[in-house]
Amino acid sequence: MSSQPNQQQQTLGSRQKFMTSANKGKILSNKCLKCGHIMVGTIIYCERCHGNELQSIELEGSGSVVTYTIQAVAPEGFNEVGKPYAWVVMRIDNTSLKVSGILIGIKSPADLPLGSKVKVESFDPKYGLKLQKPS
Amino acid sequence: MTNKVCVIGAGSTRYGKLDESIIEIALDASKDAINSAGITPDDIQAGYISNVFGVSDKQVHMAPVIMSNLGIPYVPGLTIESACGSGSIMFREAYANVAAGFYDCVLALGVEKITHTGTIQSTTLFSYCSDFFYEGGSGASFPGLFASIARSYMATHKASEEDLAHVAVKNHENGMLNPKAHVRKEITIDDVLKSPVVASPLKLYDCCPFSDGASAIILCNEAFAKKSSRQYVEVIGSGRGASPAAVQGRNDITTIPSTVNAANQAYKMAGITPKDIDFAEVHDCFTIAELIDIEDLGFFQKGTAAHAVREGATRRNGEIPINPSGGLKSKGHPIGATGVGQVAEVFEQFTGKAGERTVKNAEIALTHNFGATGASAAVHVFKKVE
Repeated sequence: MSSQPNQQQQTLGSRQKFMTSANKGKILSNKCLKCGHIMVGTIIYCERCHGNELQSIELEGSGSVVTYTIQAVAPEGFNEVGKPYAWVVMRIDNTSLKVSGILIGIKSPADLPLGSKVKVESFDPKYGLKLQKPS
Repeated sequence: MTNKVCVIGAGSTRYGKLDESIIEIALDASKDAINSAGITPDDIQAGYISNVFGVSDKQVHMAPVIMSNLGIPYVPGLTIESACGSGSIMFREAYANVAAGFYDCVLALGVEKITHTGTIQSTTLFSYCSDFFYEGGSGASFPGLFASIARSYMATHKASEEDLAHVAVKNHENGMLNPKAHVRKEITIDDVLKSPVVASPLKLYDCCPFSDGASAIILCNEAFAKKSSRQYVEVIGSGRGASPAAVQGRNDITTIPSTVNAANQAYKMAGITPKDIDFAEVHDCFTIAELIDIEDLGFFQKGTAAHAVREGATRRNGEIPINPSGGLKSKGHPIGATGVGQVAEVFEQFTGKAGERTVKNAEIALTHNFGATGASAAVHVFKKVE
């Protein structure tokens, strides 16, 4: 876990920073310096105490599956994935923070029991937050 | 102190695949509502229009076009978008403006035209209603989002796919009695369970159709309603709520906070409890949504909706009839119109126009409609006026 002070960069390109972290296998979060609440890095005021002094923290992008689905009809651009995929909500280990993304290669619910371990692979410009099963 | 607000007229097109343009169907529903209220366009002091995908039928800034074609080009109109909850959230604004005394009489019109875009494009357009960076952008469709909610609900509360199927069967049963419903087809539990998977664990009959359609309401203050000497319905409660836009941002995926908050406001304003509601039109875009709705609205305790639905408590002759119109599942879901259509159903029920689907001895009804996975919602409570 690495951390850095985050003042003026906060509102500038928060999605871009989230993507950069994801490409390192990490999830960018914001920790409220007033109340300690941890939220996803694109939220720019604390959703609990509404404080605006937040510290960027890169969390290890590993966690477990909270819920997911496998779809028969995908939005435009997602058939090009070429393989069945699951859309997954995962909980980041040792936090209550959840993030969602695409997990390619999941054919049926038997492939992904709830609670399965998953981790962040990257942020794909076409497919968003990509997850993978740990090798 | 605000003014009492009444519904004095309602109109709807058929819901389904319609050939006319979005403006023509909007005008059809408006004309129905104007005739039903016994007014002329001249009585309308403002127009409120809910719509989401007008751009797909080459029309944004829809309100002035509709007002112009109603022959009242100098009456101000406003277009409001709140995804699938647009209708009820627009209705709330129309209500608030009459309650505040800005207008005596307004048009509240919801309209949607989507079927011309085809399944893939419709699926894509709908995905823009999600928190796209986290959801649609990583491949989630709306059936997919609700399917992930369903999986979580089923794991937490021990509901089964068969329980979900009961919601579909009941709503199709009601929709059979609604001449304007999109999908008028009686189905069995087995039909639902054997229908193709759309997004696991949801199957085709767990999902509402993509629909075109328009519904319109004439809202006015009490003095205007009394002067009209028509039967009318009073709005006695109104509430709005919000939830984190993305499913990932919610502590509990099996409840929709916007519904809970909007309902509590509406009950408080009406001075009633959920037990006082005689029937409700709720947002059943997917069967799982109806299970969650009827818990969040306070009709059943958390985790008990599946049991209640299995026992028939939500059927037309049950303890609390849910979606006597057929709901989004069978009546259809033209997303800009849906919340307005729910109010039209209440009006028809309370003014003797609902025919065979009339809920007996009903005096107080509730409408509930949300946007996306419940990021926005509005709830209204209505009283029959004798």
